Amino acid sequence: MDDAGLVGAIAGQAKERPAAPALCWRDEEIGYGELVLRAGRARAALTALGLEPGTPVAVHAEKTPDTIALVLGALSAGHPVLLTSTTLPSDTEAHLLDKAGCRVKVSAVPSPSAGHVVDLSTSDGGTPAPLTEHDGGQDAVLFMLTSSGSTGVPKIIPLTAGGVGRFVGWASAAFFGDGPKTVLNYAPLNFDLCLLDIWTTLATGGKVVLVDARRATRAGYLHELIERHRVHLVQAVPMCYQLLLESTAGPHPAVRYVISTGDVLPPRCLRRLRGLFPGAQLYNLYGCTETNDSFLHPIDDAGADGPVPLGRPIDGVSALLVDRDGVVLEGEGVGELLVNTPFQAPGYLDAALTERAFVPHPAGRDRLRYFASGDLVRRDADGALTLLGRNDFQVKVRGSRVNTQEVERALLAHPDIPEAVVFGAPDTIAGTVLHAVVRRRTTDAPDSLAIRRHCATRLPAAAVPAVLHLVDAALPRTSTGKPDRKQIASTYSKGH
Amino acid sequence: MDHTDHTAAIRTFVVEEFLPDVRHEDLDLGYDLIANGVIDSLGLLKLIAWLEDTFDVPVDDVELNPDSFRTVIAINAFVSAALETTAVRLS
Repeated sequence: MDDAGLVGAIAGQAKERPAAPALCWRDEEIGYGELVLRAGRARAALTALGLEPGTPVAVHAEKTPDTIALVLGALSAGHPVLLTSTTLPSDTEAHLLDKAGCRVKVSAVPSPSAGHVVDLSTSDGGTPAPLTEHDGGQDAVLFMLTSSGSTGVPKIIPLTAGGVGRFVGWASAAFFGDGPKTVLNYAPLNFDLCLLDIWTTLATGGKVVLVDARRATRAGYLHELIERHRVHLVQAVPMCYQLLLESTAGPHPAVRYVISTGDVLPPRCLRRLRGLFPGAQLYNLYGCTETNDSFLHPIDDAGADGPVPLGRPIDGVSALLVDRDGVVLEGEGVGELLVNTPFQAPGYLDAALTERAFVPHPAGRDRLRYFASGDLVRRDADGALTLLGRNDFQVKVRGSRVNTQEVERALLAHPDIPEAVVFGAPDTIAGTVLHAVVRRRTTDAPDSLAIRRHCATRLPAAAVPAVLHLVDAALPRTSTGKPDRKQIASTYSKGH
Repeated sequence: MDHTDHTAAIRTFVVEEFLPDVRHEDLDLGYDLIANGVIDSLGLLKLIAWLEDTFDVPVDDVELNPDSFRTVIAINAFVSAALETTAVRLS
């Protein structure tokens, strides 16, 4: 697809094999011909809205075939697409659209927060013009994703045609081999994981089995999809695998690749995954939305009890460890991971944020721009890299990055909450669960119902603490007067 | 046909399982349990398992939509509708 571009590649599949299945959704299969037809209708509908080519448009990212067609139609007309999560609070979304320069939000599915609804299910009589690639060059922005979690306005990450094209090239060579493949898509449509699950699969003529978000926590449903469609590749966060292992269904010998990403895979889960997918190569994949996939680690049986290492950088990826003083670590040690990948975003839309996170080589040894990941990584004597955690206040909750300090700030914005400490605690199924320890000015108000309502208006869903501990005594402090987060976390993380 | 009102039992379960600091009567039957983070996707699994055990609701046959579990009122409506479907099928 080097020359064709993403839309061109998918349109090419439709031309060659119009009847081949592109998307499976509930009991329906949508062929390439139909997908591209609907994308053409979407493009016509956007043109009818009076949108100039090149102007960004927001798409309500409810995962359905029509939404995917709508994204394709928008790309084909040269609109960079901001994919907005279906769970964003409306204030945050309005701010996000404003920052991204989107005057219009469109949706293929009617819903109270959908914006302008484009109906793609029926034709208006005419046949839309064939779907074509909008050639805006390698630097043209295709997708605008957002950094997951944290509060206020999420950071907007533009992915260019060049970056997406190189990603599709790498991923299809790494996982798909010679022919079209069937892939399970578990992640929400606005997650970067869809670059592999959905967009690479479609660009190479494969079949995407879309997991219905409403049933994504039903193990029986997930097992059935994998079995019925003889899925070739599954990519998901560890929680999905934990759910699959809760059920006795399986094994699934037809699956060839199983990729765990977005969080740390517990070793106990790893051993049982091997039994569930006896014919598969298991991988741990590390990447940020800003850089996309950076490290791919094939999990073998050796050392299965220790933490899963990050593995080796993907071809073309440069990685550095930088210590607290900004010095590049050459040998053993712990430092922040800096990464440059062929797939990475040119920066955030906000130049000030870009300057802080996308940095030159600290010793000026190359001319690359590195993304400062905020992840602390250890390098052993033999060169193996292992993820230790965040070097700031970030935790991952069900695949979303959450800044615990920003959650604390949101809590402290309540007039009757003078102290609050937020931390992530390990949980056997969820991976990480967000806890908040909250001191109130008076003993009976606000109650957790009111506190939750307060949080939900200010924070994305993943950042609303799952567990609230309400206390009346002052929280312990360190000698420097800061809340003693370590002690508080160890006291309250037990007995959830 | 079972038109029993299960709201009291549902409210008790939700409060005891997810809201230990809250008095039962303080949980408004229309409080949005999902938007306010009381019930997340794993909480939903717990709730559904409890509904299956307590009311013999055949959840596997029913379309699961988070909107059905957004409030105590909605959960009660879900249980009543599911039980009604079962009753019709058995008759």
